[in-house]
Amino acid sequence: MFELATKIVINGLTSSLVYILMALGFTLIFGIMRVINFAHGELYMIASFLVFALAGSLGWNYYLAVLVAAVAVGLFGALLERVLFRPFVGRELNGMIMALAISISLQASAFILFGTDEHSVPRPISGVLQFGGVIVPRDRLAVGLMAVVVLAGFYVFMRYTKAGLAMRAVVQDQDIASIYGVRPKIIHPLAFGLGAMLAGFAGALMAPIYTVYPYMGSQPMLKAFIVVILGGLGSVPGAVLGGVVLGLTESVFATLINTTVATMVSFVIVVVILLVKPTGLMGRSTR
Amino acid sequence: MKYSLKLLALVAALAVLPFLLRSPFLTHIGVMTGLYTALALSMNLMLRIGQISFAHGAFMGLGAYGSALLVMRLGLPFPVAFFGAALGVTLLAWLVGLVFLRIRGVYFVLLTFAFGEIIVLTFVEWVSLFGGSSGLAGVPRPVLFGQQIQGRNGFYLLALALAVFAYSSVRAIYRSELGAVITSLDENEALTQSLGIDSRRYRLATFCFSAFLVGMSGAVYGHYLTLVTPEDYGFWVPVHLVVINVIGGMAHPVGSVLGALLLVPLPELLRDAKQYQVLLYGILLIVFLLFMPDGLYGMFKRFRRAREAVK
Repeated sequence: MFELATKIVINGLTSSLVYILMALGFTLIFGIMRVINFAHGELYMIASFLVFALAGSLGWNYYLAVLVAAVAVGLFGALLERVLFRPFVGRELNGMIMALAISISLQASAFILFGTDEHSVPRPISGVLQFGGVIVPRDRLAVGLMAVVVLAGFYVFMRYTKAGLAMRAVVQDQDIASIYGVRPKIIHPLAFGLGAMLAGFAGALMAPIYTVYPYMGSQPMLKAFIVVILGGLGSVPGAVLGGVVLGLTESVFATLINTTVATMVSFVIVVVILLVKPTGLMGRSTR
Repeated sequence: MKYSLKLLALVAALAVLPFLLRSPFLTHIGVMTGLYTALALSMNLMLRIGQISFAHGAFMGLGAYGSALLVMRLGLPFPVAFFGAALGVTLLAWLVGLVFLRIRGVYFVLLTFAFGEIIVLTFVEWVSLFGGSSGLAGVPRPVLFGQQIQGRNGFYLLALALAVFAYSSVRAIYRSELGAVITSLDENEALTQSLGIDSRRYRLATFCFSAFLVGMSGAVYGHYLTLVTPEDYGFWVPVHLVVINVIGGMAHPVGSVLGALLLVPLPELLRDAKQYQVLLYGILLIVFLLFMPDGLYGMFKRFRRAREAVK
């Protein structure tokens, strides 16, 4: 009984960390620009392919490849904001359709370039650790640790830098923030780039654990979406809380019943939360 | 009078087309275009009230599974199963609409998306009724007026009838007082309510009629393919419907028709280069969003106005 419980908790928490990385970027982008970024999963996919190309094919050091891939995806995100999303500021539904269009185009491009084959990236670490009767794969643990480092870096950035302060201000009230001299022209690409970079880290870190293929982004995108509703769209602490809640709930239902039921339960929670408290567990009403 | 004569002539011309062309492939494209015209029009209604329903894929699936199961399990005649399934979907839309329609904007999109996923996962999980991931195979061809619809031409006529019904009803709604009210809901709901209009009833009626159209299209789709699988009714159905409306133009039901005429044949014609077609599709959407937000309909309208200005 105890072993089963620890297994559920450990599995739950390791998936939580990746969900949180995805969800934070997603919620940041929504909080600042009011865009539902349906292309978030494709940013994850691009980072995975970059790691596959750099570490797998060119033989770079894995950790360097992760860093380069995440930064490149971040820059790409900022570019997307500048060129494609800027005309739709304040028009939520059109921004969402634009994100869908980008998602479709990126998926098809990846398919044309790489085909449907599932590629694998060599694992930098292998083996397992044993705690009592519980077995934890080392590579999963390493991903968890690196995710924690990235999350800590993000926290420090949002909490202690001027740009972070400006972003938090825009999430609370765009108009008042602009009175205090926060310029959307700078904050929007920065937020989009940062959100994309977090998705890039998630994709780059997961590349050796799962296989790399053009449609790999849809699953993490779905998780990010659920996490963000749980925590409240636009709420950064909510994304962390939502990630933990989803990771644990899924782990319980997937271990005890099966993954389809686990997904179904998470969607039921989403519907209930949207109906009862659309702003999520931690979100504030914006209107 | 002049309008209805024109429409009648057009429909008559379209109806005899496959019998003249005698190309099964082109007729197949005709069936798909007809069905997607009706589906796109149902989404046009939702766009009109500013609430994009991502549950429409699941509603289409319920129509398909519903009609197929009523024929296969209960042995009901096709017309009864067809309307039964469509009305069942409408009833479900009414029930969930009572609570769902209070939610607006992107939250409504996300809510209906999650609800649709629950329905599709139910198709997967409830194997004894819905057949799981492999779905229902061997859905019988419908029998109408004592005659079994075997060939594609029969389905073409059915799909055409559905598209014409959807177009004329949506156009009639927009031209009526009802249309004026639902258009005002997206623009200024508070003002509409101040006139003593119970806006939620209008939203609910729109949602229900939209679901009715989707349910009917789904039912025909299932009998046409003779195979109903959960993956056909997921997230991409509503996305496709929104794209058709954006590219065709949302301001008028003609836009939905134009969008379907352009976008439905595309994947069928470029079958060998499927991914290039998807890429083209995505890029087309980006270009229209950025440079032609009024879609094809807006383009034609501007072109006509410019020509009249020259005269």
